[in-house]
Amino acid sequence: MTPATPAVDRQHSGRLFFVVWAWLFALSFLSWLVAYFGIAGIPRWSLISVFMLAKAALIVAVFMRLAWERLALVFAIVAPLLALVAFISALNFEAVYIHSQRENYQGVKAP
Amino acid sequence: MPTDLTVAKKSALRQMTDDWSADQRVFRGVTWGKAMMWVFILGDAFIFACFLLGYLAVRHTTTEAWPNTAEVFTIHVGGKPIPFLLIIVMTLILDSSSGTMALAINAAHRRERKKCAALLFATVLLGLTFVGLQAMEWRNLIAEGLRPAHNEWGAAQFGSCFFLITGFHGLHVSFGLLFMANIARKVARGDFDDGRRGFFTGRRGRYEAVEIMGLYWHFVDLVWVFIFALFYLW
Amino acid sequence: MVEVRAGEEGFHPDDFEDEEVPHPRSWWTKYVFSQDAKVVALQYAGTAIFVGFIALVMSWLMRIQLAFPGALSFIDQDHYYQFITMHGMMMVVYVLTAVFLGGFGNYLIPLMIGARDMAFPFINMLSYWFYLLAVLILLSGFFLPGGPTGAGWTLYPPQALLQGTPGSQYGIVVMFASLCVFIAGFTMGGLNYVVTVLQLRAPGMTMMRLPMTIWGLFIATIMALLAFPGLFVASLMMLCDRLLGTSFFMPAIVQNGEQLAHVGGSPILYQHLFWFFGHPEVYIVAVPAFGIVADLLSTHARKNLFGYRMMVWATIAIGVLSFVVWGHHMFISGMNPLFGFFFATSTLIIAIPTAIKVYNWIFTIWRGDIHLNVPMLYSLSFIVTFVVGGLSGLFLGNVAVDVPLNSTYFVVAHFHMVMGIAPLLVIFGAIYHWFPLISGRMMNEKLALAHFWITFLGTYAMFFTMHYLGVLGVPRRYYELGQTAFIPPSVTSLNIFITVLALIVGAAQLVLVYNFIRSWRHGEVAARNPWRATTLEWQTPDMPPPHDNWGPQAPKVYRWAYDYSVPGAPRDYIPQNQPEARA
Ligand code: HEM
Ligand SMILES: [Cu+2]
Repeated sequence: MTPATPAVDRQHSGRLFFVVWAWLFALSFLSWLVAYFGIAGIPRWSLISVFMLAKAALIVAVFMRLAWERLALVFAIVAPLLALVAFISALNFEAVYIHSQRENYQGVKAP
Repeated sequence: MPTDLTVAKKSALRQMTDDWSADQRVFRGVTWGKAMMWVFILGDAFIFACFLLGYLAVRHTTTEAWPNTAEVFTIHVGGKPIPFLLIIVMTLILDSSSGTMALAINAAHRRERKKCAALLFATVLLGLTFVGLQAMEWRNLIAEGLRPAHNEWGAAQFGSCFFLITGFHGLHVSFGLLFMANIARKVARGDFDDGRRGFFTGRRGRYEAVEIMGLYWHFVDLVWVFIFALFYLW
Repeated sequence: MVEVRAGEEGFHPDDFEDEEVPHPRSWWTKYVFSQDAKVVALQYAGTAIFVGFIALVMSWLMRIQLAFPGALSFIDQDHYYQFITMHGMMMVVYVLTAVFLGGFGNYLIPLMIGARDMAFPFINMLSYWFYLLAVLILLSGFFLPGGPTGAGWTLYPPQALLQGTPGSQYGIVVMFASLCVFIAGFTMGGLNYVVTVLQLRAPGMTMMRLPMTIWGLFIATIMALLAFPGLFVASLMMLCDRLLGTSFFMPAIVQNGEQLAHVGGSPILYQHLFWFFGHPEVYIVAVPAFGIVADLLSTHARKNLFGYRMMVWATIAIGVLSFVVWGHHMFISGMNPLFGFFFATSTLIIAIPTAIKVYNWIFTIWRGDIHLNVPMLYSLSFIVTFVVGGLSGLFLGNVAVDVPLNSTYFVVAHFHMVMGIAPLLVIFGAIYHWFPLISGRMMNEKLALAHFWITFLGTYAMFFTMHYLGVLGVPRRYYELGQTAFIPPSVTSLNIFITVLALIVGAAQLVLVYNFIRSWRHGEVAARNPWRATTLEWQTPDMPPPHDNWGPQAPKVYRWAYDYSVPGAPRDYIPQNQPEARA
């Protein structure tokens, strides 16, 4: 049986980490620029989300070295995390509903 | 290099089912400590997710307007207002500490004692700076009238979420720093080279501790990514 | 110093994991601050059973009040609510969770998978001390001014924090603080159980050769690690609301004509977080019971487990699905009506893997060589009780049926059957089953039978009757019914009936304690492997197992855990560590 992990496994020089480090800086800075220029609404949220997810992916994949782990571990970690996204969205949905109830029955206006 | 992608994919999946069907251990090549840290991180991620979803939920249910974070977190430099200045500096510092940590792990893999210790101490310093800046941020905002239960800018839950979430994250950072300082000391002293036994556990220390510590530290940085985006910038 | 392998700079498990388990050096580290999972297990179980007796006494007091209102003059409304809250919370979290995972988990996981100890014995020991601390904090509520909280075990805001609810001053703070400590402690133990099952199995022990007991404990632990965060965060937010005056969960409230300082919080959010923990929690105590019962049935019917693979996958399915049904506790909370539809559906779906398990237990004993000994009796009574509780659960899972039945005794009957009594019966069965392993002696069978019949028939009659009360509309969490037109006189007599049974059943638990203590010293010395079981814990060099479980030679595993009555084999069971069918 040959290990399916690529040959770069555990051989990476410091270089890769510097590259990722630079990317983290760039992505943080970019999301800050979004706020700095006051981009609003959907573009703001989508940009921020994209930068956020990209950063998270880099940290998990390279710094936490999940990219070099075997699929068994990767799946065990990533699958429950994806379920979290569903949980968060469900409760968000619920919160919006409750707000609408408050608007309807307490005459509160949307902020 | 396999050029046929489907073959490569299949074999990875195949490998996964093989791993799960194997005896002795599921995660081959993963030490007990590392496996434990990953499982811990999973649970901790659920905790932070609950914090964030709690924050999003109260933000959406509350009937008062949410404060404009760009105004709340503005710092004036030479009379010019710069939004999120402190936050972005904190973010870059925490990212940097992640960078030094990653390099420290690399050094640990190669048993480069001095380099590893130096990088760990650098990480500790960066982490301390982060905590210091956070304390400064708290102090500034408290001076401006932000309280857990009320504030002048809008919904009361803003302050509650701010203190609870950044506080809990800061606590993670601080605990991490304590452990990391200890590990850095052990690396520097050469405990991991001569297999000295731990004071509490009575077990031999190993360079592996650096990697496990690193997983935790990167996770703390990871959480900050979401706090930065969802709480501050959203 | 460890050599760096060519082309592999990372850390490899083989480099380290040869380490021997830490050996105790003094009496203190052997019996008190022990890192041996077997000692930690007994500490956990002992503490939990102690808490269980407190909770039992409180249920007595409640029952006496319900049947003979005013008979004990010191039970006023406030006390009743404090008893109900402490009883519920203790039973669910501090007793059942701790006994199964902390007690049986610690004892059985390393032994049944062929490991020498848990992966991190030190952290494992800490886990127990955190648990003990949590218990002490919880009990301290009884001695604080205002007493423990009386908010009901669900601790719903806003009323849990409002003046007028007993213990809203200190009790509620202590309650949440204790829960946080419990969760921290449990996490330490839980990490151990998960990693131990995943990484420390004996050679030959694949996941699909694990006994169902281990599968149950393993899945339950993962569920606990992922579900407790909901409660943890809810607890912290409640503490903030109470201590810092924040409004995570507290809406604007006018009390006694005065507007309170809270504004705009979301009480429903608390319910979501609580039940995101709360529903998995009921399976956290049920799934280990499922696993244990499967092993007891197979062993004592001398027949292989029916549909092992199906059982494993059903357990996993239950684990996953139990995270998407929490809303069935909130049908009347005012949440989004679309959620009602979703959660009703998912609730009915989770019944499928559960039913699969019930069928498989029954097929396991079908035409088996059933030995009606005490563990078997308990297992059978578990099936009966669990099926009744499960069926009433199907009723309650439907929104239209739940709306009228919610907050009546029907619910009390349902959850006592399904998650109170059923797992408890398994605990008893498991105690009788593994007592010889732990102590090297047998328990007295006559006393055990007496304990069994009183406990099973008593609890069954008690809680089955409550369904009827519920359908009549008798409300749950009522201190007394008073003169209410729609409640017929039969309710009064039934209440007396239930209370008398509760007193008898409670007292009968002393028989178990007596039997346990007496047999520990004077019981008949047990034969090696008295139940002729296949699983590894009975194949240790000594009984009780030595400190490192296996002595010099760790076991190798050659087969699954259910080789009973294999045709052609010389004995009617083949231990998992036996290479060939013929010995
Ligand atoms: C002899 C055994 C038991 C008796 C006599 C008993 C009795 C009671 C009584 C009288 C109540 C209050 C019902 C009401 O007024 O609405 C109650 C509530 C409760 N019991 Fe038990 N119980 C027993 C065992 C258990 C066990 C083993 C569990 C473990 C799950 C349990 C969990 C609960 C819970 C969660 C509540 C609800 C508390 C609340 O409404 O806040 N009980 N029990
Ligand atoms: Cu439920």
